[in-house]
Amino acid sequence: MISFENVSKIFKPDAFGPPFEALTQTSFEIKPQKVTGFLGANGAGKSTSMKIMMDFIRPTKGKVIYHQQLGKNKNEIFENIGFLPERPFFYPNLTGEDFLFFMGSLVKVSKPDIKKSIEYWAQIFKIDYALKRKIATYSKGMLQRLGFMATLLHKPELIILDEPLSGLDPLGRKDLKEIINQVSNEGKTVFFSSHIVSDIEEVSQEVIFIKQGRVIFNDSLNELYEKNKLKTYEIHVGSESKIELSTPCQQEVFSHGHLKLFVEKEFKNKLIEELIQKNIEISSLSLKKVTLEEIFYRTEK
Amino acid sequence: MNSIKVVAWYTFKELFKSRILINTFFLGCALITICYIASEFTYGTPGRIAIDFGLGTLTLSSVGISLFLGVSLISKELETKTVYMVISRPVTRTQFLIGKIIGFLTILFLNLFILSTMALLTFKSYGGVISPLIIWNIFYTFLESCLVLLIVVLFTLNTNNTVSVISALVLYIVGHSIDPRTIMYFVEGRPGFEALIKFYHFVLPGFYKFNIKDFVIYKQELEIDYLISSLSYGLIYSLFVLFLIIFVFNKKDIA
Ligand SMILES: Nc1ncnc2c1ncn2[C@@H]1O[C@H](COP(=O)(O)OP(=O)(O)O)[C@@H](O)[C@H]1O
Ligand SMILES: [Mg+2]
Repeated sequence: MISFENVSKIFKPDAFGPPFEALTQTSFEIKPQKVTGFLGANGAGKSTSMKIMMDFIRPTKGKVIYHQQLGKNKNEIFENIGFLPERPFFYPNLTGEDFLFFMGSLVKVSKPDIKKSIEYWAQIFKIDYALKRKIATYSKGMLQRLGFMATLLHKPELIILDEPLSGLDPLGRKDLKEIINQVSNEGKTVFFSSHIVSDIEEVSQEVIFIKQGRVIFNDSLNELYEKNKLKTYEIHVGSESKIELSTPCQQEVFSHGHLKLFVEKEFKNKLIEELIQKNIEISSLSLKKVTLEEIFYRTEK
Repeated sequence: MNSIKVVAWYTFKELFKSRILINTFFLGCALITICYIASEFTYGTPGRIAIDFGLGTLTLSSVGISLFLGVSLISKELETKTVYMVISRPVTRTQFLIGKIIGFLTILFLNLFILSTMALLTFKSYGGVISPLIIWNIFYTFLESCLVLLIVVLFTLNTNNTVSVISALVLYIVGHSIDPRTIMYFVEGRPGFEALIKFYHFVLPGFYKFNIKDFVIYKQELEIDYLISSLSYGLIYSLFVLFLIIFVFNKKDIA
């Protein structure tokens, strides 16, 4: 839906401060009809990238390409995008309902259609009870729900969410994840950022990992697992404590006379031989299942 | 066009629900009370006091609202990032700005309308005659408040709110005090100053052009040419500042 081509962004805080390069030659693509997680630590450049996508700030170098299916001109493109900023805050004196009508009317949705949309989504977002209240009285989670809901009213093709799950209670996270899934199942494209690996792992099919302004990988989750999988094996043996082994492997004492050994593929057979030789009982052997978390930490090192 | 209307309407709604106009109403009541008390203590000209006080209060409240509420009109949107929600829609930054400004001016207009109705009714009840010049004066107050609003908004795009308010206030006060009608005695014999002051209102806003209170109260007449030329000056200057705001805002990184 949107591609970045060698986008760099340099911030100049003020006339005297040193310039700061928040994005360096970033290239990636948001694939249509997929949920793409945008993963990165705080300050990695996620929000900056999204602001560039939304034309709030301009890239210092490089290009942003909006694909044909979003529309031909800026107006059409933005009619097809729903955007939720980080830490959303809306006009405090308006009611939730006012705000939704405001957002809906900006995209030329007819009044009755907005109304229908609001009724439909308010149930799903569990915010219907509060729509007549002033936004000033909303909690952080309610703001997040209201903001997310506002991005869906006009049935956009692409939904961009900046840290939609941050600062929510477990129930809120679960609800919003389910909604992301639902929206995705309806054939929409979702692009959302998070610094929490498991969030991304749970809902997305694609992941873009950004670190200090550079894209480290941009892959489908399946492929990522595939690439990282075949290397490490996990062997469980019966032992109360760590044992001396000549084959390189990692050991981790588990509970009640269990020891976990992690070994790279190339040393697997050698290790098994050594274990048999030393008369240590092997209780299980499995290909270690990598989590995105581990891949993430591996690249962090 | 539709986007401008929508932004203007909800800007108006947000300001309206912040209950600013209730303050206006109380200010109006205070004004009437003060006029009443003043007329009890002065002999002869209660009507003149009512109009003098009334017009003064109108200016103070109108310019005050422009300055102290106007300063956050755009800057608060940028600070709290509410602007993101609007301009992530098919709404251009220019439409957003114009909508915000129109919404604000509607509140300003209502404030002025309520206050002047109350002031004029009081004035009338003391036997005053509402001359066209009084209406002109009220209209100029609106114009000058518009200009103050635009100037303070322009400042907020470049600096913080405190500096913006102070700078706009300084421009307002200086713009009033360089009135050639009142400082002639000072300028006379100092040709450099005379040129400087003539030059001033081409670059910086000559607010003195909108001050016709003395004519309203004491002379009760003023040539139409003067009225028209001040009016055109105010409109052209406002448009000029508006273009500057739009230009700066479109160039700006909204980070
Ligand atoms: N307007 C700005 N001026 C200067 N530096 C900025 C600005 N916005 C962001 N940055 C810097 O750019 C880096 C990336 O920020 P951001 O994109 O917000 O990170 P995140 O991935 O947490 O969303 C940070 O180091 C931040 O301090
Ligand atoms: Mg961020």
